[in-house]
Amino acid sequence: MPTPIVLTVNGQRRPLDRVPDSERLLDTIRWRLGLKGTKEGCRSGECGACTVLVDGVSTLSCLTLTHEVDGASLTTIEGVAADPVGRNVQEAFARAGALQCGYCTPGFVLALVGLLKERGADASTDELLTDLGGNLCRCTGYLSIARAVSLLQREGE
Amino acid sequence: MPTAFTLVFPASVEAAIAELATGSPGEVVVLAGGTDLIFDLDAARSTARRVVSLRHLPWRTLDWNGPVLTVGSTLPLRSLEQDPEVAARHPGLLQAIRAVGGVPLRHRATLGGNLGRAAPASDLLPVLLALDAEVDLVGPHGSRTLSVDRFLVASRRTALASGELIRSVRFPEPRPSAYLWQRVRPEHDISQIAVAAARSPSDGRWRLAVGGIPPRVVRLPEAESLLRSAAPADSEIRFAAEEAAQRLSIAADRRASEEYRRHLVATLLERAVQSVVTSSDRSR
Amino acid sequence: MTASPRPDARPKLEGSAVFGMDLESPGMLWGALVPAPVAHGRLRSVDLAPARAIEGVVAIGAADLASLLPGSSGDPDRPVFPTDTVAYRNQPVAAVAAPTRELARQAARAVRVEVEPLPVVSDLEEIFPEWPGPSADSSPHVAAHVRAREGDVEAVFRTADTVVREVYRTSSVHQVALEPHACLAEVGDGKWRVRTSTQSPFGAREDIASLLGVPEESVVVEGTWVGGGFGGKGSALLEPYALLLARAAGRPVKLALGYREEFLLGRTTLPSVIRMETAVAHGRIVARRVRLLLDVGNALPGRDFATGFAIGFLLGPYATPAFEVEGYAVRTNKPAFGPHRAPFAPQCAFVLESHLDHVAREAGVDPGAFRAAHLWKEGDRTPLGQAVGPFGLAAAFEKARAIAARWRAEAGPDHGVGVAAGFWSTGTGAGGEVRLLLRPTGLTVVQGEREIGSGSVLAGVAAVAARCTGLPRDRVTVAYESTARAPFDSGVYGSRTTAVLGRAVEEATRMLFADLGRRLGLAEPVPRLAVAEDEVVVVAGTTRRPIREVLTEAERTGDGLVATGRHYGKGGTIDERKVEAGAFYPFTDFTGAAHVAEVSVDRGTGTVRVVRYAAVHDAGTIIDPASASAQIEGGVVMGLGTALTEEALWSEDGRLLNAGLLDYRIPTLGSVPPIEVTFVEGFSGAGPFGAKGLGEPPIIPVAAAVALAVRDATGAHVTELPLSSERVARALNLL
Repeated sequence: MPTPIVLTVNGQRRPLDRVPDSERLLDTIRWRLGLKGTKEGCRSGECGACTVLVDGVSTLSCLTLTHEVDGASLTTIEGVAADPVGRNVQEAFARAGALQCGYCTPGFVLALVGLLKERGADASTDELLTDLGGNLCRCTGYLSIARAVSLLQREGE
Repeated sequence: MPTAFTLVFPASVEAAIAELATGSPGEVVVLAGGTDLIFDLDAARSTARRVVSLRHLPWRTLDWNGPVLTVGSTLPLRSLEQDPEVAARHPGLLQAIRAVGGVPLRHRATLGGNLGRAAPASDLLPVLLALDAEVDLVGPHGSRTLSVDRFLVASRRTALASGELIRSVRFPEPRPSAYLWQRVRPEHDISQIAVAAARSPSDGRWRLAVGGIPPRVVRLPEAESLLRSAAPADSEIRFAAEEAAQRLSIAADRRASEEYRRHLVATLLERAVQSVVTSSDRSR
Repeated sequence: MTASPRPDARPKLEGSAVFGMDLESPGMLWGALVPAPVAHGRLRSVDLAPARAIEGVVAIGAADLASLLPGSSGDPDRPVFPTDTVAYRNQPVAAVAAPTRELARQAARAVRVEVEPLPVVSDLEEIFPEWPGPSADSSPHVAAHVRAREGDVEAVFRTADTVVREVYRTSSVHQVALEPHACLAEVGDGKWRVRTSTQSPFGAREDIASLLGVPEESVVVEGTWVGGGFGGKGSALLEPYALLLARAAGRPVKLALGYREEFLLGRTTLPSVIRMETAVAHGRIVARRVRLLLDVGNALPGRDFATGFAIGFLLGPYATPAFEVEGYAVRTNKPAFGPHRAPFAPQCAFVLESHLDHVAREAGVDPGAFRAAHLWKEGDRTPLGQAVGPFGLAAAFEKARAIAARWRAEAGPDHGVGVAAGFWSTGTGAGGEVRLLLRPTGLTVVQGEREIGSGSVLAGVAAVAARCTGLPRDRVTVAYESTARAPFDSGVYGSRTTAVLGRAVEEATRMLFADLGRRLGLAEPVPRLAVAEDEVVVVAGTTRRPIREVLTEAERTGDGLVATGRHYGKGGTIDERKVEAGAFYPFTDFTGAAHVAEVSVDRGTGTVRVVRYAAVHDAGTIIDPASASAQIEGGVVMGLGTALTEEALWSEDGRLLNAGLLDYRIPTLGSVPPIEVTFVEGFSGAGPFGAKGLGEPPIIPVAAAVALAVRDATGAHVTELPLSSERVARALNLL
């Protein structure tokens, strides 16, 4: 019988007592918690679509066992707006038109929020863009995403 | 798809070692960051029945003792990457770390996990060899230390004895070093061929390592001995690089022919050594 | 930068947009496909019993189709499950459904499939190592044969100053949309309902009906948001299996592919071998011969579109007095050739541009000037005899050459600049319709397409409607309805959406305005609408009449203020006398693109990096500038993948070796150069206000531009795609 765990998800305490040991955090988020905003792409750590924050740190939820993060505080795309950093990122993406089909978007937003929380105003646009290299997009060609990041860093000054 | 397995969270090193004793190495596996293990489980390359998480072990550490750097085996790579001392004293290591996946992946991936997997294409292992890194192991019969070179046996095979865990990785001294690679996708990819060159300030000798050629990352002792000074002549460097490339047993893979891979080894080795010479020059 | 955010930005940025992968329904089962274990063989048995023995599992195979589809014969050429022969590895031979995803996978693995292996053909050059002779027509490996000619090419070759003959090879590339295929099916009340991530709800409906052998009206397709299509989601793939499972189980069934399966089952661009021969006299092309061998996988004989279509792009936008073109669609043991973005045109442009550049150099003529001198202009005839309409490629090419000249002057050592031309035709498909619904708050365009990301639906169609009616953009909404309620449209592909639906909007607007004029008692249709005091008004002369005045009556007697418009565009005509075999395709309009790439080449390893890029596009009237630039940036970067790193590697026994993002490399953020975008204007197209489709042209000249830049930098002439570092190294004689 799997041991009960507790996750705090977007500020809400969510006890879970039937999560199998082998379950991925991605699936717990999407199918148990019903939060579909976090996307399943490659499911092998290559595309970044599944990126969430675990205790404020960006993590690939497809490669994380849910039980490994027992007790942690998670942020998904549905909860980023609760934080001004998250809101700014969403706003910058909207203004820069940094999305087309939108499938990679939650992953990019979370990855970027994670970076900004880690590095803050310190990081240059170039450094941030380098550090976003693990997130793939097939529609935009990335330039609009780069413009969104640039917008963020300019306005953060 | 993941097979059903039991996940356990030993609270101490002793408990973790005891867990490993409950089954054979294929049945009981160690979970550090999980970035490789989860992938293997999904692809049904692993048939583990019991997964031992190292989450609670006190190995997320990074310590300097004079020139010696000791990194706990479960420290996420990102933490190592962000340490300003590491960036200053081990730029080659930093470069190699940044080649591993992306930032979210490096928040979970670990040095211990990378070593334990012993993948021939690992971007970290050539640098570890060139820096003469050592692994501290702990097991049912106590502790021991091995050089990384001794630790790596073949693709996905290490010298870990039954029940042993990697506790830490130690770098004895900072060295001027260079890390170069060839990738299908230059900016972000695993490497097809990776080369690390370093020169020890304490014994004056060169260390050359090449990764990407199965079965494992290797040192190049003959080529090393052909580099007789801190600033060898261009022709000496070229000769050593070509010799090293000729001696290696290289096969074609699905991406590249044997001749091209050999050519890459020679080219990158030459450049790596030149790079170390140049950066040492500059730092004088 | 957009003036206002895309209408779909909010749900996508907040995570509330529901894609196919996100679909869920109470009591649903998860489906899984049972793959054939070999690429070619006689199917001996498919034993579902071990799967059915697992509790909760439903399993179906060929033997169950008769009871699941009473009285229907489906499509005899495309059986849902094969009964006799396996034609490609992982071909679905059965399907299962179970309460959990994992259990479904387990059940699929439990099914025992026995196949007697037959020899596998994986490489088209195994079948045709040389250009085939006349007996090829009767070969079982040939799915289609096309041929056309003008004049006596051989005679001209004999007297020409220079004849250049080359062989090129291109690789298979995949669409790699980030969202795998996924759908949720439910069968009941005589209806086959499926919600799915698709580029073409009506196309999927037609496919499903045909494959299952059921009437189209009994199939209801509702599209979700789509996480990328690029041609891969243009027709039904999973839906028929999901529907059959749902029918068998009496419960909804969710079927979604894993990412590895996306590669293994994907129908996409396959490899080719192309022989190009060109004769030049006095600096002009006097004759050409083009010979295409195109791998079409498991394509059905007689249903190939690719080969005749591709030939047009291998002849290209160049004046060619005498020619012989011939193509064979060659069947191999792979999934069938399917559309990618601008299907096979990037490969054609790479071959054609590289070849003509080489021809010019051999003939001692400046390569840019050589091509410029032959580019079609309006009024010319294509080699197949079609009149060229307004076409801005020559103007775009000139601009591109000017950019290239500047860049070359600034370029450092081991840097090179290449200019490449490409052209395309705004698609039409089977046409489309829209329904306009006017209320005091604004206009709703009801149509049957989901916005797949390009903006062609939400932005493009909205922009056209705003322009046609006079209403401000923020008073126009584009609404989506399922196939049960929406007007027909052919699908979001072929760069056709804004053009076709836009023209339909134009017609619907005319109908609406005529109707409004009548209702208001005017002598003529109303000229335009506007917004005054927060409501929609008709502007006629100096008067403004709120539509509210006539709305009540309209709602009382009918559906309100509605109008329907349709557009079934037509292409031009080609001169069929030149066609000796197979089908060729006329163009609807003529869209041009001229690109410039600057690269740096590592002379030690052959590694190519693109350091800057410019795209000059002839897109007619730009309907929505933000979407236009976005499509160009996205298309160029996708093209860089085709140019440098993307290739699907097939083994001799028909296995796709790099079925995953680890080893099939698409461009990442770090690989993108700055991209300068400019337009040439004044050359109108088939779309509303003279617009031309822009979804596909941007990908077409990219590989060509990069290849020519590599040549400019180093002299290395690479005749294979992608330009891997090894291929460049070989062309540099490093090995």
